Amino acid sequence: MTAPVEIERPEAAEVPVADVPWITIVWNDPVNLMSYVTYVFQAYFAYPKTKAEKLMLDVHEKGKAVVSSGTREEMERDVEAMHSYGLWATLQKAGDRV
Amino acid sequence: MGHAAEGGGPSLSTAFRRARGGVVAASFHVVEVELLRSLVGQLLELVREEPADLTGGDGWAAELGLADDAASRPTDPVLLRLFPDGYREDTEAASDFRRFTERGLRDRKAAAAATVLASLATADAADVPAKNREKIRIELDAAESEAWLRTLTDLRLALGTRLGVTDADEDDWLSLDENDPRRHVHDVYDWLGWVQETLVRTLSSALE
Repeated sequence: MTAPVEIERPEAAEVPVADVPWITIVWNDPVNLMSYVTYVFQAYFAYPKTKAEKLMLDVHEKGKAVVSSGTREEMERDVEAMHSYGLWATLQKAGDRV
Repeated sequence: MGHAAEGGGPSLSTAFRRARGGVVAASFHVVEVELLRSLVGQLLELVREEPADLTGGDGWAAELGLADDAASRPTDPVLLRLFPDGYREDTEAASDFRRFTERGLRDRKAAAAATVLASLATADAADVPAKNREKIRIELDAAESEAWLRTLTDLRLALGTRLGVTDADEDDWLSLDENDPRRHVHDVYDWLGWVQETLVRTLSSALE
C-alpha cells in the first residue's frame, strides 16, 4: 500500500464555478391551470402533493417560485422539461437577484 | 394562473374519467372532434416551421457560432411563449440555451400533437351504436394522456397569447358582443381548459 499523499487544499476562493448552486424558477402565467401546474411538479420532480401545491400557490400568488436547485446543467435540464410542459421557467445563479 | 370555467364547458362532451384497463376515457361530439383535429393540425404546423438557422442549411454556421443568434429568437409572441427564454438577464446564455433546446422541444411538441391526432383518427364513429353516432369515445393510455395534457396546454398557450388573456379577466370576455369573433375563440379556449381540467384531475388521482 502506498503512503497517503499530501493533497493541497484549494483556497475558498478557488471553489470551481460548477459548485455554485443554480436554481430553476417557475413564473406565473394567466393560462396554465392551477391543477396542471401542481400535476407537473408532482409528475416531473416527484414532489409530494402538499409540496407541489405549496409551490403552485407561490407561483400563483407571489408571481414565481424556486422549484429546484443544483448544478447549472441540472437546472438547464429542469427548465427545458418545464418548457416541454408549457410552464414558463428560467434558471439563474442562486445568489443573483430574482 | 388560469382556471377552468365553473360548472364545466358545453355539455356536448363527457369529461375524462378513469375507465377499465388502466385507461382514461371521454366522449366528444363529432363537431368537437373536428374542432380538435383542426386546432391540433394548426399547432403541428406551427411547431414544425423551424427558423432557417435551426435547419440543415445553416447548421454548420450555427455550430461554429457564426449564425445570427438574434434571428433564432421568435418574434411571434405565440412562439416566444411556447419556446421561452431560459435565462432572463443573460441574452447570450439565453441564445445558447435556445440553440441547444429549441429543436428538441419542437420535436417533442410535434410528437405529442401527432399522438393526439392519431388518437382522434382511431376514434371511429362506426364503432358507436347508431343512436349515439354523434358521440365519439376517446380512450387514452398513460403515454397518450401525457401527450394530450401537453398538447392541450400548448393549444391554450397559443390561443391565450393570441387573445391576450390575463388573470381575472373572465367578465371582460363575457361582456364582448355575441358576434365578436374573439368571444368565440375565448369560448373554445375555455372549453379546452375544461377538457384539460377533467384530464388532469383523473390523472392526479393516480399520483396520490
